[in-house]
Amino acid sequence: MIMARRKKRKVKKEDENSGSSISDGDGIIVLKDLTKKFSDNVVLDNISLTVEKGKTTVIIGPSGCGKTVLIKHLILLLRPSSGEVYFKGRRIDNMNEIELNKIRIRFGFLFQGGALFDSLSVADNITFPIRQHFKIKHWNQYDELVKNKLSMVGLEGFQSFYPSNLSGGQRKRVALARAIALNPEVILYDEPTTGLDPIRSDVINELILKLQRELGVTSVVVTHDMTSAYKIADRIIMLHNGKIIADGDDKHIRNHPHPVVQQFIHGQVNEDDLAVLRASGTIFQTQFLPDDFEE
Amino acid sequence: MIELVGAKAVVVAGNAGRFGRFVWQTMIASARSCARTRTYPLIWAQMNIIGVRSVPIIMITGAFVGMILAVQAYDQLASMGLEERLGVLINISVVKELGPVLAAVMLAGRVGGALTAELGTMNVTEQIDAVRSMGTDPIRYLVAPRVIACLMLTPALIIYGDLLGILGGYFVGVIQFKINSWAYWSFSAAGVELWDVAVGVIKGFFFGAAIAVISCYKGFTCREGAHGVGQACTEAFVASFISILALDYALAVVFKAIYSTFWPIRSLV
Repeated sequence: MIMARRKKRKVKKEDENSGSSISDGDGIIVLKDLTKKFSDNVVLDNISLTVEKGKTTVIIGPSGCGKTVLIKHLILLLRPSSGEVYFKGRRIDNMNEIELNKIRIRFGFLFQGGALFDSLSVADNITFPIRQHFKIKHWNQYDELVKNKLSMVGLEGFQSFYPSNLSGGQRKRVALARAIALNPEVILYDEPTTGLDPIRSDVINELILKLQRELGVTSVVVTHDMTSAYKIADRIIMLHNGKIIADGDDKHIRNHPHPVVQQFIHGQVNEDDLAVLRASGTIFQTQFLPDDFEE
Repeated sequence: MIELVGAKAVVVAGNAGRFGRFVWQTMIASARSCARTRTYPLIWAQMNIIGVRSVPIIMITGAFVGMILAVQAYDQLASMGLEERLGVLINISVVKELGPVLAAVMLAGRVGGALTAELGTMNVTEQIDAVRSMGTDPIRYLVAPRVIACLMLTPALIIYGDLLGILGGYFVGVIQFKINSWAYWSFSAAGVELWDVAVGVIKGFFFGAAIAVISCYKGFTCREGAHGVGQACTEAFVASFISILALDYALAVVFKAIYSTFWPIRSLV
């Protein structure tokens, strides 16, 4: 009886899976008609996107346009309201968390603030994903690995430090070392240069390029830093109001006819916003003077 | 009006469903964690934070409960010439009701607040997302060790609280009010049964589980920002406190029914 039920369930699962794959040649990650709503607020509106293997895809767009929401959908940290997500030709948006965890270990994710675990040292942060999924026979293998990953991000000797003792740039580099601990096939970067000075930003850009050169990984970078985007991107995608409005290499983006793209890449405020600022009066007029208050 | 009530009901049902799913996932993850030796270091660490470091505050609370009961009850009993029965009154109150409930309330404040604040901060700084992004179940890694530690150590802490409550009552009754020591203990021994102590300790398992699950849930679902974390801590304490009292009532009814059914025939069993 139980065997018959299991067989029936297996057949049903196979039937469900029969329509859940696409050709691997389409790209390492494919999004099909992806929509994400929070209550009535549509953040991503019918997005279709193919991330090519071994390339760096940069997603740009103004703050609040849904860049972080989009990158979180690539490893299903957020579930889509509708649409499909494929990794290496296999549909992953309908998987449960246990199945997804097996997929997620093939990704590295650099969070905007680093998201290092405060209670763990740098070494423990870096070895965290390894300790969770693999057994290493000798402790010195951990030490070797930590040393190796820290040297890749230029932070040798920081093993015993805690995140609270590190600067913003150092935290991002440690987070990057943790993201590459499992030698991922894809690294996702959520605003890697935000909050850093131009020199530290360039260090992070060089690290992204170095990782791509040395490990041959696929990278997806979310940023609004155009200097960084031009430096690291093989392909730039611009999001606006939940839709892709531009897609191409840096030359294509620089010459894109869409006015929003031009405003964004040149960092210019649009005429409507300027009109609102002008209409609100001068700062002096809106200030309160002592005479405005009764004693 | 009906629309408003309906919308509210949908929100409440949604929250209840999410909490129910969280509890179910926690139960499964906790059972699996008990079976996997790799998670034991995480559980030991939480036992130290939740249990060992709570011992002083629980003992102080217990001692004062016993002492206050003695001060309050002595005059009433002495006016009837029953001051030697003070031990029964204090000890039965402490081991059966006041000890477990006050220990649990102290834990809800000390441990529950800390759990919510820690997990809430992890949530708003994307550390929980980071755990998930590395292919680890955050409920297994973060919630299960805390729930197991709370579940196992709340009864132990209640025993410490009871012990100090009894000693506090003895100190005030015998040392301060000069009640005969032999009479104090012999009336206590006659009035307090093993059942009463067992009821108090068993309540600890339920209180511990409730505190840990509610606090972790509030941490996992807290809103962004300092205000969000603060609000989650407040909500966690209020919900834990109410659930301790509700559980205490429900368990009192259940244990009373069990006692009246089985305790008189215990010698036959």
